Amino acid sequence: MMEKIKKNKFLLFVVLIYLILLLSNTEKAIISFKNSGYYIKEMLMIMPVIFVLTALIEAWVPKKMIMEHLGDGSGLKGSFISLLLGSVSAGPIYAAFPVCKTLLKKGASISNIVVILSAWAVIKIPMLANEAKFLSPKFMATRWVLTTIAILIMGYLISKIVRRKDIPMDSEKINDGEIVIKEEYCIGCGICEKLAPNYFKVGNKKAKVVNSKAEQEMEGAIIKAIEKCPTKAIAMGDKKLPREKVGK
Amino acid sequence: MDIFTKVLWLITGIWFIISMIKDKKRTLDAMKMSKKMMGNMLGQIIAILFLIGLILTFIPPHVINEYLGGSNIFLATVVSALIGSITLIPAFVAFPLVGSIVDMGASIVPAVAFLTTLTMVGFVTFNLEKQEFGKKFALARNGLSFIFAIAISMIMGVIL
Repeated sequence: MMEKIKKNKFLLFVVLIYLILLLSNTEKAIISFKNSGYYIKEMLMIMPVIFVLTALIEAWVPKKMIMEHLGDGSGLKGSFISLLLGSVSAGPIYAAFPVCKTLLKKGASISNIVVILSAWAVIKIPMLANEAKFLSPKFMATRWVLTTIAILIMGYLISKIVRRKDIPMDSEKINDGEIVIKEEYCIGCGICEKLAPNYFKVGNKKAKVVNSKAEQEMEGAIIKAIEKCPTKAIAMGDKKLPREKVGK
Repeated sequence: MDIFTKVLWLITGIWFIISMIKDKKRTLDAMKMSKKMMGNMLGQIIAILFLIGLILTFIPPHVINEYLGGSNIFLATVVSALIGSITLIPAFVAFPLVGSIVDMGASIVPAVAFLTTLTMVGFVTFNLEKQEFGKKFALARNGLSFIFAIAISMIMGVIL
């Protein structure tokens, strides 16, 4: 109960204002409610589409294939692929941190990582639909073009400022066969619970490890969960994990 | 429903049907994931939508016009960019909010600055970023993003 209140404190705050207003100035409360009406209606029309579109992109865009073309010297092609990868991903920018760290370890260049992070933050395709709806298609298109240019320039500049050695690479040691979830990155999607219910459980919008010792026969399911995790928040201490190289 | 939304519904609808025919399980699994992510945002979305009603009722358009559309555009833009940097709400809920304020007469320049820093610059998530990519990277990326956000908003003010 307390958790629920904490998570929705903003909503609670707004509801409280309405209640106070309803008692002190009923007329204004009703006007406010009516003023929200237009935006609620518009949101209801666009939300289901964005919801389905996000799911379809998640299901059909072959991210793994995209990720194989991000190395140093991948040039302009690498930049565009990075732009694409960021644009089709779901979740807030911090959800992209572990994904990008994984890519960096596999050899993706710094400029490409900057492009992915930035694109992930600002130019997600379902969000563009929402922007066009509430501002205007022209507004959205102009901002998209300018932002894309800015992101590509930023990738180039940062790759000149920051060197590979500036980036901490050694992650904390995990014991063999031990499963760990970086909770700050979990978006509560529930894929891991579905794939390996004996090991993961989602509660309070975050996945938790219920059994941290991976048994031999279940390793396949766990590795699948690690690979499918959209924010790469799960790690298992095991040298046998498949490590694909990132090509050029 | 405007033409834009209609087209989007149409494309998504067709894609959905094809997706269901090709691989029903895969489609439904992805829908479940999307549902959970949306569900996490729902409280915020509802709160923002009702907050817009309050803003429209209690803040007179001339105030918005004065502070966000008047002569002090540059200052308003920098302040908006700063607010965007420290706020952590999904862009999804920011669009109707910004849209309503622009409809009331705010200039688009601070609006663009706010929207761009909101998603690209992360004050709250700075520590996480530093931990994963190092201080230099985090500083360079957030700093440059802030500068570019201002630049983008200025250019948009000129074009649109």
